[in-house]
Amino acid sequence: MIDFSRIQKELQDCERNQDSSGIRVCPKSDNLTRLTGTIPGPIGTPYEGGTFQIDITMPDGYPFEPPKMQFSTKVWHPNISSQSGAICLDILKDQWSPALTLKTALVSIQALLSAPEPKDPQDAVVAEQYMKNYQVFVSTARYWTETFAKKSSLEEKVKRLVEMGFGDAQVRSAIESSGGDENLALEKLCSA
Amino acid sequence: MSDRILCKFFVHGSCLKGENCEFSHDSKDPPNNVCTFYQKRICLYGSRCRYDHVRAASNLPLSSDSESLDRSISTTPSRHLQQQGDNNDGDKSSNVYCIHPREYPICSFAAAGDCPRGNQCPHMHGDLCNTCGKKCLHPFRPEEREEHTKECEKKQKHIEALKQSQDIECSVCLDRILSKATPGERKFGLLTECDHPFCIQCIRNWRSSAPVSGMDVNSTLRACPICRKLSYFVVPSVVWYSSPEEKKEIIDIYKAKLRSIDCKHFNFGNGNCPFGASCFYKHAYSDGHLEEVVLRHLGSQEGETVITDSIRLSEFLGGLQIF
Repeated sequence: MIDFSRIQKELQDCERNQDSSGIRVCPKSDNLTRLTGTIPGPIGTPYEGGTFQIDITMPDGYPFEPPKMQFSTKVWHPNISSQSGAICLDILKDQWSPALTLKTALVSIQALLSAPEPKDPQDAVVAEQYMKNYQVFVSTARYWTETFAKKSSLEEKVKRLVEMGFGDAQVRSAIESSGGDENLALEKLCSA
Repeated sequence: MSDRILCKFFVHGSCLKGENCEFSHDSKDPPNNVCTFYQKRICLYGSRCRYDHVRAASNLPLSSDSESLDRSISTTPSRHLQQQGDNNDGDKSSNVYCIHPREYPICSFAAAGDCPRGNQCPHMHGDLCNTCGKKCLHPFRPEEREEHTKECEKKQKHIEALKQSQDIECSVCLDRILSKATPGERKFGLLTECDHPFCIQCIRNWRSSAPVSGMDVNSTLRACPICRKLSYFVVPSVVWYSSPEEKKEIIDIYKAKLRSIDCKHFNFGNGNCPFGASCFYKHAYSDGHLEEVVLRHLGSQEGETVITDSIRLSEFLGGLQIF
């Protein structure tokens, strides 16, 4: 049985310290079994400046079982699958403790971003690149952060698409109808 | 006023003997207020008995000399004490009445907190207990006073500890432990090796949850969820402790309580307890004698000494090396 009162308390606690930590947890559905966590990329790493979204699913046994966490934002990191977003972190598996909370787990993930563990990889390709060609790894990770983890403002998107040769009004309506997704808007503009 | 004792049935208006009654039917006569159970030493009410606890004095003549007996009985304690005070001659008065003041019970109303009769009360009022604020200390029974003081201080300490435990939160459910819904949940689960607070239900749930594959039971489930220090057992307690001595006392009391309960695995010698000599429960045979604990020491290969409670042939065969 999920302890909903505890989740409620954790959410309140997160909300209180949101500004100092930058870590947010919001419920995805009404029943608090699915949540979305948001962490800022740690400063001084290729992930700096990005905002990473993590899908959280609460298991029935919470807090005696670890919450299931997975990146929904694409990340280039040896311990995070570049395909599925699966995270390789001991406290989310066999080292879980009921004294840990959603917030502490997210802080641990943030720490994992700044301290990759390539010897115990989740994504073998990324880990190999990290070990053999660190500079390439850093630039790839930075590119992925720029591309997937940064929300550019509407004006920037409009500017980029206008530069491609579309009309301003046309671009704005395409972005609006595609819910702010630049790539989807571009597709629409091309097919129109 | 005759020198006969007042009939107790007459007092309640129910004496069937009427004129022929051997006791006095004159309400001015003194009643017999002596507790006969006390004289046989079987009064269960103790200091709360509403009859006078007067020991049958040996140097008094028996009922043949009814006058002196009546006098000794009819004297109420307060009058007796008053006389003693007035005369300032305790020896003399005790010669007359043969009753030591320690035999008198104290006023139970005053002992319970408030006597409506105040100074007019015919009974002796006890001294004020500083801890509970009630007049319940018998002036002439030092051992009773001491017992009460001890008991009272213990109670006070418990209340203090409860107050301090009020704000402590369980680190698992994040609730205040003493504010939980049912009384059964309002208990702390003490870990022997560290001082992190949990409610008994949370810590037991965690320790009994099924281990995930790859999980080492000793370093996760049996460890403290916060500091991961290994504790072999959890002690339930209604209060949180404030010093290591208090913690030890709680653990000792818990262990002593378990030792008084018969082990269901041992089953009076019919079963086999997997915990052996280190079981917390009582290992006694049906005739009452306790299981003898013989610790056998085995020198293991690493030079350490291993304690086993029963040696099987297989243990030797298992260690056998055939070259």
